[in-house]
Amino acid sequence: MPKCTVNGIEVEVKDGATVIEAFMKTNESIAHYCWHPGLSVAGVCRMCMVEIEGNPRLQIACNTPVQDGMVVYNNSEKVKEAVEWTLKFHLINHPLDCPICDQAGECGLQEYYMSHGSYDSEMAERKVKKHKVVDLGEKVVLDTERCILCSRCVRFTDEVTKTNELGIFNRGDRSEIGTFENRPLNNKYSLNTVDICPVGALTSKDFRFRQRVWFLKSFETICQGCSAGCNVQAYYNENGFYRVKPVPNEEVNGHWMCDEGRDVYKFANKEHRLVSGIKKEDSGLSHMAPGAAAVQLREDLSDTKKAALVLTGQYTTEEYLKFVDSFTKNYGNEVYHWINNPKTFDDFDGILLRGDKNPNTVGLLRVLEGKGIKSSWADLEEKLNSGQIEHLVVAGPENLAVFPDLEEKVTLFGQAQKLTVLTPVKSKFYESADYQIPMKSFMEKDGTFVNHKGIEQKLGRGPIVVSQALTLLDLSMILDGSDFISVNSASMGGSL
Amino acid sequence: MSIVKKENSLSKWYLPGILKGLGITFRNLIKNLTSRDEMLTLNYPEEKYEYGPRFKGNHVLTVKKDGSLRCTACMLCATNCPADCITIVAAEHDDPSVEKYPINYEIDILRCVFCGFCEEACPVDAIRMGPEWQVPGVNGASFINNISELAYRPSLGGGIKTVLDDEERIKGGI
Amino acid sequence: MEAKLLSEHYSDDSYIGLEGYKSKGGYAELKTAFKMKPEEIIEVVKQSGLRGRGGAGFPTGVKWGFLPKNGEPRYLLCNADEGEPGTFKDRVMMERAPHQLIEGMIISGFAVGSHKAYIYVRGEYMDSVRILEKAIQEAYAAGYLGKNILGSGFDFDLDVYRGAGAYICGEETGMISSLEGKKGQPKLKPPFPAIQGYLKKPTIVNNVETLAAVKYIIRDGAEGYRKYGTEKSAGTKLFSVSGDVNKPGVYEVPLGYSLMDLINNECGGMREGRKLKAVIPGGSSAPVLTAEETGRATMDYECLAEMGSMLGSGAVIIIDETRCMVDMLKVILHFYHHESCGQCTPCREGTGWLEKIVRSIVDGNGRLQDIDLLNRVAENMKGRTICALSDAAALPTMSFIQKFREEFEFFIREGRSQVKG
Repeated sequence: MPKCTVNGIEVEVKDGATVIEAFMKTNESIAHYCWHPGLSVAGVCRMCMVEIEGNPRLQIACNTPVQDGMVVYNNSEKVKEAVEWTLKFHLINHPLDCPICDQAGECGLQEYYMSHGSYDSEMAERKVKKHKVVDLGEKVVLDTERCILCSRCVRFTDEVTKTNELGIFNRGDRSEIGTFENRPLNNKYSLNTVDICPVGALTSKDFRFRQRVWFLKSFETICQGCSAGCNVQAYYNENGFYRVKPVPNEEVNGHWMCDEGRDVYKFANKEHRLVSGIKKEDSGLSHMAPGAAAVQLREDLSDTKKAALVLTGQYTTEEYLKFVDSFTKNYGNEVYHWINNPKTFDDFDGILLRGDKNPNTVGLLRVLEGKGIKSSWADLEEKLNSGQIEHLVVAGPENLAVFPDLEEKVTLFGQAQKLTVLTPVKSKFYESADYQIPMKSFMEKDGTFVNHKGIEQKLGRGPIVVSQALTLLDLSMILDGSDFISVNSASMGGSL
Repeated sequence: MSIVKKENSLSKWYLPGILKGLGITFRNLIKNLTSRDEMLTLNYPEEKYEYGPRFKGNHVLTVKKDGSLRCTACMLCATNCPADCITIVAAEHDDPSVEKYPINYEIDILRCVFCGFCEEACPVDAIRMGPEWQVPGVNGASFINNISELAYRPSLGGGIKTVLDDEERIKGGI
Repeated sequence: MEAKLLSEHYSDDSYIGLEGYKSKGGYAELKTAFKMKPEEIIEVVKQSGLRGRGGAGFPTGVKWGFLPKNGEPRYLLCNADEGEPGTFKDRVMMERAPHQLIEGMIISGFAVGSHKAYIYVRGEYMDSVRILEKAIQEAYAAGYLGKNILGSGFDFDLDVYRGAGAYICGEETGMISSLEGKKGQPKLKPPFPAIQGYLKKPTIVNNVETLAAVKYIIRDGAEGYRKYGTEKSAGTKLFSVSGDVNKPGVYEVPLGYSLMDLINNECGGMREGRKLKAVIPGGSSAPVLTAEETGRATMDYECLAEMGSMLGSGAVIIIDETRCMVDMLKVILHFYHHESCGQCTPCREGTGWLEKIVRSIVDGNGRLQDIDLLNRVAENMKGRTICALSDAAALPTMSFIQKFREEFEFFIREGRSQVKG
């Protein structure tokens, strides 16, 4: 464990660690573009210049291993001038099209220009013209003029996905990032290249031009897309959610997340949401407040002798605990676990993507085990077929895209005399249900997801989209007899 | 402002002051009746005052040579607007050299405080405050100006072109 | 005083073939070397004071000593990607004496314990490749290459690899990338090639002339080799002299030889009796010397380093009074702009920027502050990149401006060259 001094602060680092890692450990700021903790060292941007005592030449921090007793600093005039000049070199051929660049506001060039630059350009000659709006694949657009050739994206496709779609073509200041003919950037992790791009060269087609980043607020939560439980940052403003980005967590997702997970914000937005409780009556569908629908459901259930509950792995552990508890207390032990894709359930692609497309299957199984509930899907099918179930309550999925069997299963559930669907999102398949009660999405509530490894992670509550929607906690209180919704529910948070 | 009071015996009496004032009024009445050209008052709305061309009145969205909007939908005006009266919806342009353009640009002119910050913020000289200042309208909705109003209203005669155009900019290697 | 060591038989056509080479004492030193222990050879090379002839001048024996002492497979690469403008000695060596290089490589391979070697030849050197390949076939047939060479138990395989025409592949790690089949870009150091090089195995990269010289160190011993040259710059060196002299060409002289003598004796003096204006002593990347400095200069590592220039690959470019230095700098900078690999930002953007500034001066659009700007851009490119290409563009720029500033100023003020009128 070598020790070194960084800007006067003594720090101990791992064997073989580089100077930039020592800087990261002390939280001393150090400019860098090409270095990324999740990728190999390229050493090409030359921004992380440091002065090492006893060495007359400036060194790059990202490729200099820490030696015991090393004294390093990057706040001397010499280093500052070097960094300013390196930034100048980065910017002389930059097109300066910040007005139409989506990265503006979170751009490495803007950031360092403000902190290390603030000079007037001395470049009086013509800039190098390169290709703009290059379509790299289904999800990513490239602007080669904005590119600073840090090679992070190239290294990502080389080292993380090992698909090698990207490469640097040509030489010198004519160098450009690009793909090979007929080999577009279409891997399942392609949008990570957009995240790691320190400038606006790679932009996401999904987010492109939809919002300026400075109009967005964000919070950290857990991705709902599969049982990997990637840590994510969700961005929103008063019009809804706009994007999610990964948050580094070495234990869970490293620095990355998959492209499928990038879509989890979509169903939380208002256009996909069920906003009022719906009860099917002889005269047609009647809309009412979600709480009122829940109270009517309670009354309906109270004269039922055979009620059953179907749960999906898309709710929080806290909800399962309380809801399974009050359901079994009031209506008996008929609780079933709906597995959406049994064939691919245990798949794993070697990076992050899990076949289990539910964020909290492990949490649900733990709760069912704790309650001593052992039930099989075959039982449920048999009972439904033989008409033994009077009223079936289904806590349906949020993410309908990962439930390919939705129509088939809802038809199956329809064999019960009465069907209640608890759901955050609208679906035409639910129209036959007797009750549809809107639920809160994972963006709007507190709680815990347990990932496939059994790691418990807390959700971070974001803004409320549908303020009247219930959680299973609220619903269990209503089923237990209360007509009030607990303050513990998600309705406390601010609304969109 | 300070008022200087003359302390003399005459100022104790009101009448001389009143008569003096009436004298001025009467003199101007005669002057206006005899030489109407020098009269400052206008018979609005039949007559209108011409403000200088640099008067900061109604917004104008400038256009390029081909008549399309200069605006690139960077939203700096909306960001800078203290009254929060600018709404822009951006979209991808078919022409890759344009890349981004506004499919909707609205200014709620009743909320606008005419501070000119939008003009200051614009990096491409796409929005200017023009000399027009009359804003008639029949209801609230008619005060929300959209692109056709801001860039192509009849009084602009097909839109205001800016001096420096993209072609020249690209030719100059800027 | 031409000291013919390596180039003794270069004028003899039969020296190209195996028989002719053997008749002039070829492959005799190989037998001597096989009687020595590899460590002894490394020690002799260390003692001889042989320094890399490719440009950097790093002591060869010391470089060999960096190799790990375990039995890990290692590679010997011969750098024949002679790309430095002004240099053409390796070509002569490969085309006039291919077996000399092959013998030097076998001895060096034996010394460093490598069983596989490549000669990386510059793409444009079609003739060299052809001649080398023929010589290698001859050597295989005669048992100088392949398994169990001359019954010594030492196996050695040699291949020729043709480059694709990038200057940067003459940089040792760039060459390794290129050999590996990747884009020819220098690699980050550390790790150095001697620890982790070609295919992540320990690798020694030496210039053609360095490897060939090993043969003569074995023949004459360290002391015999040291007879030539100076205390710190031992041996002889082949200089590629080009430019405004009567007899440009490749000349072998001992290190420490006077530059003026090289021009006046070997090269037959200045062309058409014109006056000497400047000399670039070590290839286009070396800082320029004025006529006055040229008078004092001796061709060895120390003297040129003291004058702020370098011996480099020994490419001596003679410039007479009719040449415009601004024009010349433009040509040099165009070369480095074109050849920058584009990896490190200061070089990628800086080489282009330098060229554009000088070009606008030549086009008559220069501003007086451009001279200072050129200097500052070059200053900030120097030593800030992975390899030395950025220095190679920065150093001539700075020296041209420092030594011929009035020519630049004249060009900017008048919009025309001072010498060309």
